[in-house]
Amino acid sequence: MERDQIDRFEVVALPHLDAAYTLARYLMRDDAAAEDVVQEAFLRALRYFDRYRGGDARAWILAIVRNTSHTWRKRQGRPVVEFDERVHSDAVETQTPEAALLRAADRDMVRRALDQLPLDQREVIVLREIQGLSYKEIAAVAGTPIGTVMSRLARARQRLEQLLGVAAGKE
Amino acid sequence: MRCADMEARIGALADGELVEAAARDVEEHLRSCPTCRAAHERVLALRTALEQHAPPLAAPDRLRAAVRARIEAPAVPARRAVAWRWLAAAAALVAAIGGPWEVATTWGVGRALADQVLATHVRSLMPGHLTDVASTDQHTVKPWFNGRLDYSPPVSDFAGRGFPLIGGRLDYVGGRPAAALVYGRRQHVINVLLWPTGTGPAAGPAALTRQGYHLLHWVGPQFTYWVVSDLAAPELRQFVDLLQQADGATPP
Repeated sequence: MERDQIDRFEVVALPHLDAAYTLARYLMRDDAAAEDVVQEAFLRALRYFDRYRGGDARAWILAIVRNTSHTWRKRQGRPVVEFDERVHSDAVETQTPEAALLRAADRDMVRRALDQLPLDQREVIVLREIQGLSYKEIAAVAGTPIGTVMSRLARARQRLEQLLGVAAGKE
Repeated sequence: MRCADMEARIGALADGELVEAAARDVEEHLRSCPTCRAAHERVLALRTALEQHAPPLAAPDRLRAAVRARIEAPAVPARRAVAWRWLAAAAALVAAIGGPWEVATTWGVGRALADQVLATHVRSLMPGHLTDVASTDQHTVKPWFNGRLDYSPPVSDFAGRGFPLIGGRLDYVGGRPAAALVYGRRQHVINVLLWPTGTGPAAGPAALTRQGYHLLHWVGPQFTYWVVSDLAAPELRQFVDLLQQADGATPP
């Protein structure tokens, strides 16, 4: 690869290293695995850089990080969809208003709940709530229509509430 | 509006993703429906909890360095660019240690060499400098040195032991060309500089730490080695043991 192309790639891609690491870390749930994924994702990005036609560089990089994470998890033999049903039975029955309970959740509870979220739901929550992407950007990263992003986010939020001990209070 | 359809729209409202008319509809529904109002509150409360306890993360420095190194690794840099960058790095090092005379007069040969080796390592981590030949195959790396050096350095791949070969590079240390072999350990880069014993600069065995880098040096029966990395010292010793076993030399 030409020197000037590598320089250009660094200017386009490296500013998004923190975002890439954030996504990889929450998806992989492990420091070392996240770092490996980010390294591989940036190498892939470099390899396909000639196909990058400008536009949202963050979404482009995050899409590659996301796909690399999925590949890694498959390679590790981890199921892509996972959910621990036992968590439901642990749900705390409480009279406290649900919103207050959610706000009172401590760090460990929040991290654990995130970690237990199925991968497809975890990625939309991380992209939306932690990384602040728009639905359009999330759709580009996850390769799904915006409608799917919307419904998946709703399911993810419901599931997170359950995992944080708030029983679904709807219907 | 049926409440069963509302969940996604309530989220979209909280996310600022609804156009004005749609947002007004949902807000109106919230005013009249306590169940959906509670759902909306939960979305906002969940957001607060995530903001507090699940922040965006900063990539560790070692990851940043590793990504840069790996981006640069496949590139074969233009020779002219290398020369310029080399001069810049050398100038920076000289400035940092107070001028070449001090090195030669007040620091021993070993110290001066250690500084050169460290400069070599730091330079190798700069964009485009890690390897001239990037290959995990020892049978590609070893022959690459043919015709570039007047000796053939021993090249082993320790991937099975967790130290994969990354590639090789021609370097210049202590007034003579030297073979540089590059190994990896997770995200860490290890540089091995070597030349035939008795033909180049020599100093006694040494283990130093400089600017957060560990340097290990020994003189083997066939080759004189310098190993440098930011890897933790015990792991670096493990690696050195492997190198010494491969070369049949005595440990430092």
